[in-house]
Amino acid sequence: MKFNFNEKDISILKVVSQISGGFALIVALTMIFSLIQLKTVNPLDNPVLLSVKEQYDKDPSDAAKAEQVRAMDLMARKAYFSSRWQVETGSYLLIAGVIIFIICQRIIAENEKLKPVVRDTKPDSAINRGKYRRYLLSAAAFILTAAVVSSFFLRSELPDISGKAPGLSKKEENRKEKASAPDKTNWPSFRGQDSRGSAGGKGYPTEWDAASGKNISWKLEIPKKGKSSPVIWGDKLFITGAQDKICEVYCIDKKSGKILWTGSASDIPGEPAVLPKTDPEAGLAVSTMATNGKVVCAIFSNGNLVCFDLDGKKKWMKNIGVPESSYGYTSSLLIYNELLLVQFDSNAKISLLGIDLESGDQKWETIRHGRAVWSSPVLANFKGKPEIVINGNPYVSGYDPLTGNLLWEVECMSGDVAPSVAVNSTMAYAVTDYAKLVAIKPDNGVSVVWEDNTYTPDVSSPVATDQYLFVSTGNGDVACYNAIKGDTLWTHYFQDPFYASPLIAEDMVYLLDRSGKTHIVKVGATFKLIAESALGEAADCSPAFSDSKIYIRGKKNLYCISKN
Amino acid sequence: MKKALPYIIFILLLFWHVAILSQDRFPRPEFESGHVYPTNQMPVPRAPVWGYIDLAVLLGALTVTTWLALKKRSRQGLVWMSLFSLAYFGFYREGCICAVGSVQNVSLALFNTGYSIPLTALMFFIIPLLFALAYGRVFCAGVCPLGAIQELTGIRPVKIPKLVEILLAFVPFIYLAIAILFSSTNSQFIICRYDPFVGIFRLDAPYTMIIFGALLLFAGVFVNRPYCRFLCPYGVLLNIFSRFAGKHLTITPAECTNCRLCEEACPYNAIIPSNIEQKQEEQDKSRKRFILYFVFVPVFALAGALLLYNMAPVLSGANSNVRLAREIRAEKKSGIESTLKDVIAYKESGKTETELYNEEELIIGRFRNGSPWAGAFLGISFGIGMISLTIKSRRSEYKPNQGKCYSCGRCFKYCPIKVKS
Amino acid sequence: MKADKNKYQSRRDFVKSAGKLIVVLPLVVVPALLIKKTSVKGYVWQIDPFKCTQCGQCKTNCVLTPSASKCVHAFRMCGYCDLCGGYLRQGVKSISTAAENQLCPTGAITRKFVEEPYFEYTINEKLCDGCAKCVKGCGDFGNGSLYMQIRHDRCVNCNECSIARTCPSNAISRIPASIAYLPKDRK
Repeated sequence: MKFNFNEKDISILKVVSQISGGFALIVALTMIFSLIQLKTVNPLDNPVLLSVKEQYDKDPSDAAKAEQVRAMDLMARKAYFSSRWQVETGSYLLIAGVIIFIICQRIIAENEKLKPVVRDTKPDSAINRGKYRRYLLSAAAFILTAAVVSSFFLRSELPDISGKAPGLSKKEENRKEKASAPDKTNWPSFRGQDSRGSAGGKGYPTEWDAASGKNISWKLEIPKKGKSSPVIWGDKLFITGAQDKICEVYCIDKKSGKILWTGSASDIPGEPAVLPKTDPEAGLAVSTMATNGKVVCAIFSNGNLVCFDLDGKKKWMKNIGVPESSYGYTSSLLIYNELLLVQFDSNAKISLLGIDLESGDQKWETIRHGRAVWSSPVLANFKGKPEIVINGNPYVSGYDPLTGNLLWEVECMSGDVAPSVAVNSTMAYAVTDYAKLVAIKPDNGVSVVWEDNTYTPDVSSPVATDQYLFVSTGNGDVACYNAIKGDTLWTHYFQDPFYASPLIAEDMVYLLDRSGKTHIVKVGATFKLIAESALGEAADCSPAFSDSKIYIRGKKNLYCISKN
Repeated sequence: MKKALPYIIFILLLFWHVAILSQDRFPRPEFESGHVYPTNQMPVPRAPVWGYIDLAVLLGALTVTTWLALKKRSRQGLVWMSLFSLAYFGFYREGCICAVGSVQNVSLALFNTGYSIPLTALMFFIIPLLFALAYGRVFCAGVCPLGAIQELTGIRPVKIPKLVEILLAFVPFIYLAIAILFSSTNSQFIICRYDPFVGIFRLDAPYTMIIFGALLLFAGVFVNRPYCRFLCPYGVLLNIFSRFAGKHLTITPAECTNCRLCEEACPYNAIIPSNIEQKQEEQDKSRKRFILYFVFVPVFALAGALLLYNMAPVLSGANSNVRLAREIRAEKKSGIESTLKDVIAYKESGKTETELYNEEELIIGRFRNGSPWAGAFLGISFGIGMISLTIKSRRSEYKPNQGKCYSCGRCFKYCPIKVKS
Repeated sequence: MKADKNKYQSRRDFVKSAGKLIVVLPLVVVPALLIKKTSVKGYVWQIDPFKCTQCGQCKTNCVLTPSASKCVHAFRMCGYCDLCGGYLRQGVKSISTAAENQLCPTGAITRKFVEEPYFEYTINEKLCDGCAKCVKGCGDFGNGSLYMQIRHDRCVNCNECSIARTCPSNAISRIPASIAYLPKDRK
């Protein structure tokens, strides 16, 4: 398809291309100009318009000013829409002009006679290759050195992500923690490590008698009363006590039973003048402490929260608000990484708080749904992911311990929820008296695997292994369920009610009833009572296990029981 | 009674919750006059079938271009083909989706869950490569709208120094490596963002892109196909695939007579002359050099991997989450509140700092995983490029460099040989 | 000599065919890997009105001028109030359709009296430029029945939406073209 153009045609084409080129150039310049205008003047958000509007606002009844605003507004809108129209039409005109210009130029260029040029010497592609190689290598070397050098400079500007930032997990792998077997020495929170109710180590006594002193290593009268359980780290045992408004933390040498130091948790700014309603027998020291070997924290029912280091030096203290509820505040503390987790339940608000251990600053607060409850948080580890599971009303929910994000929740509880959940490696078990026992499996969402409502405790928290679930009720019943399927394997009626939670140590379940007698039962599918041992004193607090010794807080005294 | 009290309170709270849940500040009206709510007519997006029609057009255009370049050998035909592709894929389809950008879709899909690549995008990626493997870079010749616009405006070709050409020829490799790194970490589609011609196709773009495109086109009048030669990342893949093409465009319709008339024919310097009469270098020396550079390839790869690994935190700044985390950190350090919209939205969202920093670490981790590969790729490409500057093959004919040749057919009219039909 | 040349040629051919095989491998492997992740249906970009924070970038960051994202009114959620938070500027002393009272900079909202005390507000798509001022006003002071949506008669469906890239609350994502819109009153 070749058109033959003669000289005249070519000159016409040249003129046409000049006209269209010039035209396109003019349109382009106009458009650039109007674009600049649009950007600088900005009709719709024009400062002049805004100031006129402001003036009108000062005196809205002034009709003249209103007219001014209307006129300016109309102008602004007209300007905006007209400039938009200008740009649109302008672009079409520009494209048309450019196309015509290019077509003409192409025809002119193609019509020029071909003059094949043959150079004298044939181009040798091999020539200068050495030079090119050298240039390339030097360029590459330059880039490499520049990058290496600059990386040293840039390093200081980069954030220190191997971070000391609290709560920051170092690597993704850290999140996939394996649920470790409980430590044999440390009992860092209510119901032991992660609040799961399992003790590590072996050689725990099964027979003792306080009256005769058999296997009782020492007995200490705690200066002030309380219902909190002891926590242990290393050789130190920590417990709280309170009398009226005076709140204290005691550090006791677990070998000798002597008080090493007493810390005060009173006279904290923000502390309420009037004591909140609590069980008069219990006082303010009801929640169990938490420790991580570096610091130990305690919370009292008036909202006082304190943190000491293990030698008694107070690190920080604050009052997080009075948790008013019908039975008073009872939730125990939990420590995860560098965070102190506080389950805050009051009639006005219920939430989960993440508090920085070092500074005492609140890092996050997750508001929970439902009513106030009296359970404590439990740290579970499902599929390598740590979760805080809280027995609530009406939701049993799982939270991320670092961020407080709600991971899942199941609506299944009601009434006065006081027992904490029991967890094993895959399921969580929640129960309340006058409600039911629910086995929950959080896995790709969350589901209720089985339910039962025959044996429901009102205070005592159940304990679970991967095969069995043990429940002790306020009637004196103890039941053992198949943890996976939910069928009742055995039950046994003991005379006295249970408030303290059952704990598992060395393949045995220790069930402490309210009269102070501990019934020790074998962990298994059939009921086998191993021993029954009396404390000689009423007891409501769950014991602590450490280094083959058991520590039980009775109404007045703290006992250390060990095989002599 | 004490036991029943919680239940009474619970029932009361239940009702209270229901009121909160409905969320309306102002209750919805009850019209007495029987006024009917108007309905919103939302325009329907382009039916998916048109995407498949685009694919069919792509296949058809590729077939026709192949025939025009290899069989019919018509330069005019290829120009008309370019015009058609510019009109259809360029102005009508407004330049999206294109094969050049599809690389990013593929890499996003390969390394991320939660994104399914549309079949059309996958096909746009594969089909031109298949054609390149079989017939050479016919995609570039008459189907790619970016190539077409450059081809049609490349009126006054000028040769550039070989050294500049060699140095600039590395840029597409870097562009490709960075584009894949950014798209695989779900950070950005930089090829689409910095596409100079899509603004012209849409007749609408931020003015910076229009200026860039216009300048590039203007430069392209003289240094033809600037984007194709020195920027196009897809061209790297086409280059590699085209080298193995069995059937490729030839300058002469029959045997080459070494008349040397086509030496200045190619504006892209893609014609390799014959060299059978030139002095050969000593075998030993050239073989030694070849082996030396061959051995150095893994060294270059390692150096590149190390270099990019160190650059990973800087590169991760392309990700908006990483930038946000840095902004928050800077805000805390300096004490000055940031006015960026991202920061305001983040603060409103209730996302915690730990969450944000964890995300940032995750993303930087992904960059640290991916950038060594990008660096190794760059190192290997550099090494192979160096090797290609050492090997010298004996050629008896004038042939196009199958990797560089765009099959545009400009050289046809320079060859005096005519085949008797 | 010729034998040498042949050997050279055949070696070259061998390298070429071997290379071809290696190079074809990714063309086969990549689609195989992506079989599960390929969708036949198309995707379009859309704003999730529940995530949107009405930052106003929809107007400025779209590659098109005017933007492809515009305000839509969910009538069923509207309170039909006299004092409309999306129509009227903050702090107006009188309620009327006067220009000094209007919030919308381009005058794209029309107010119509329906019956006592209800007024109907309609968006004129042609005038709306997607600045989201009315959306913010309605969300802050009203029922939130005005919301931003990307309109698919204008949207060119870029490979990576420019507004999505810069949305501070990550409210824009790809949704199947068969759904195309995420209305606020979708229940």
